[in-house]
Amino acid sequence: MNDDVLIRCQDLRREFTVAEGRAGLLGSIKSLFSTKSSVIRAVDDVSFDIRAGEFVGYVGENGAGKSTTIKMLTGILTPTGGRAVVNGTVPYLERVKNAFNIGVVFGQRSQLWWDLPVADSLDLLRAIYRVPPARYRQNLAELSKWLELGPLMKMPVRKLSLGQRMRADLAASLLHGPKVMFLDEPTIGLDIIAKDNVRRFLKKINKEQGVTIILTTHDMDDIEALCDRIIIIDKGKIAWDGATNRLKSQHMNGKILEVEFHDYNPDISGAIGLTEMKTEANKKWLRYQGDGGAALNDVISALFRDYCVKDLSIHEPKVGDVVKAIYEHGVDHMEAADHG
Amino acid sequence: MADRAAARAVDAEELFFDALEGFPTVTMYLKFAFKSFQKQLAYKFEYFVGVVNGLLFIFIFTSLWKNIFDSSKASASSGFTMEGIVSYAVFAMIIRISMSQDDMGVMGKIRSGDIAMDMIKPYNYFGVTLAENVGGTMFHWFTRAAPILAVCLIFFDVSLPRDPVNYMLLAVTWTMGYLIYFMVNWLFAMIAFWVIETFSFQLMKYGMFTLFSGGIIPLDFFPDFIRPAVAYIPFMYILYVPTATFIGHIGHGEAMGFILFQGAWVAALGLVSALVWKAAQKKLIIQGG
Repeated sequence: MNDDVLIRCQDLRREFTVAEGRAGLLGSIKSLFSTKSSVIRAVDDVSFDIRAGEFVGYVGENGAGKSTTIKMLTGILTPTGGRAVVNGTVPYLERVKNAFNIGVVFGQRSQLWWDLPVADSLDLLRAIYRVPPARYRQNLAELSKWLELGPLMKMPVRKLSLGQRMRADLAASLLHGPKVMFLDEPTIGLDIIAKDNVRRFLKKINKEQGVTIILTTHDMDDIEALCDRIIIIDKGKIAWDGATNRLKSQHMNGKILEVEFHDYNPDISGAIGLTEMKTEANKKWLRYQGDGGAALNDVISALFRDYCVKDLSIHEPKVGDVVKAIYEHGVDHMEAADHG
Repeated sequence: MADRAAARAVDAEELFFDALEGFPTVTMYLKFAFKSFQKQLAYKFEYFVGVVNGLLFIFIFTSLWKNIFDSSKASASSGFTMEGIVSYAVFAMIIRISMSQDDMGVMGKIRSGDIAMDMIKPYNYFGVTLAENVGGTMFHWFTRAAPILAVCLIFFDVSLPRDPVNYMLLAVTWTMGYLIYFMVNWLFAMIAFWVIETFSFQLMKYGMFTLFSGGIIPLDFFPDFIRPAVAYIPFMYILYVPTATFIGHIGHGEAMGFILFQGAWVAALGLVSALVWKAAQKKLIIQGG
């Protein structure tokens, strides 16, 4: 293994057996005697390498297999097949050893003790991770400054707001100075200011402390603001993997036209230089490629000339739009659209 | 004043843990017990109600036994005197309260998926759960068992045994009983890994515990055909053995035999608990993604 590679997944696979319920009363009586079950492959031969210091966005729709992958890398779940190594440790075989090296934040769960003040939870974590006193004081002072923990320390966790709790949870996951951090939807439910604070903090520990971060989120703004690299997983398989910049340069040149037609939704396949992305009632989202074809103002004049346009606005494409398109149509469609 | 006392307590705690430097595992388990004790402080009112409830039950059971003994020849067949059965009823209830454990915690975590937060920590979850329970139990000693004992000694016609050996035997049988109780709870909680609806299993556990632990009826009153069977399940070793030993219903020699059986149960349940936990980790599906 290359020294630089911190996390390696090779053909990682996880299957779940799901009991199928039968519909109706008769069906449920039948299920009592024989359970029909089917095997679902939540993670299907996933392979990737992550180097030290990377900030990776691991994205996918609900049920695409993101959380299952993270759970295998944190040692919570055992894979059905394949192999994973995190910092030289196989997480599901040496769960405890792996746990010393990683920090984990699940946005929807807390690792703090509900009835205890934050300071006590942190003290307990110091004992769990066996952090030497001097290092504990130093780490806590830094985290406390960055996350503004001071006023929270004496409050019981159950009295914290979601944003405060997330700050405390981030501190809890970093107290032992892990090399790798797994974040599962850390900004879920946070308001804009709290989100911004969390993002700035994550950027800081990645750039200044060199902590490798794997982030799963549904918030594409998180990805755009933070991640150097994006791995898109769809139905358990990797649909796209590469630098965020590459995703932008390959798929995000040009503009998005949001067009509202008067009282109909025409077929615009004849229009020059535009590809349809989404259509809804009498609205269409069109991609303008711009490489070599007609100029944007010509395309727009043609639209106004040929169709009954009520309203039109022009957007810069966002990472989220591209990712959404990849979920919906796959990469091939995107590439075809680029070169078409 | 209160602040200064609290600060002194914190200093004492720090000194205590400083002395333990070099024993990180012991420190961690002790900290879990301490914090668990501290956590309970949030629910003070509940324990006041607990004291009243405990006394009410003791009153009910002692009155019941007195009436039964007045109107029948039960005493002759069981080997209990009237004083003996009253003191059994009182101490069985106090020992039961002194063993209070959080028997829903682990199951709740499995069902909600919060157990994931324990799996990402570098510790042995079985050990940590035991430490947390010990901390909680200590709290029950101070807030429920001790006050109830004091009230009973003053207002009920019971007295503490004089022989110091009884106290030593209680310390051993109580500890073993506590561990057996903990592992029975642990194993019933593990069912949640395989079965979603665990209520009926909990009900079964409560039923068996109530009937066979000796918490309400000493095993001496069971019909002959049931008694050998009861000896082969762990429940009687939880409450009956410590209680009957402490009040002197079981002699010192006989108690040694029971302690051996308790030891065997602790070893067997410990092995099964470890194996089941290992299998459960492979089975684990985190609810709610």
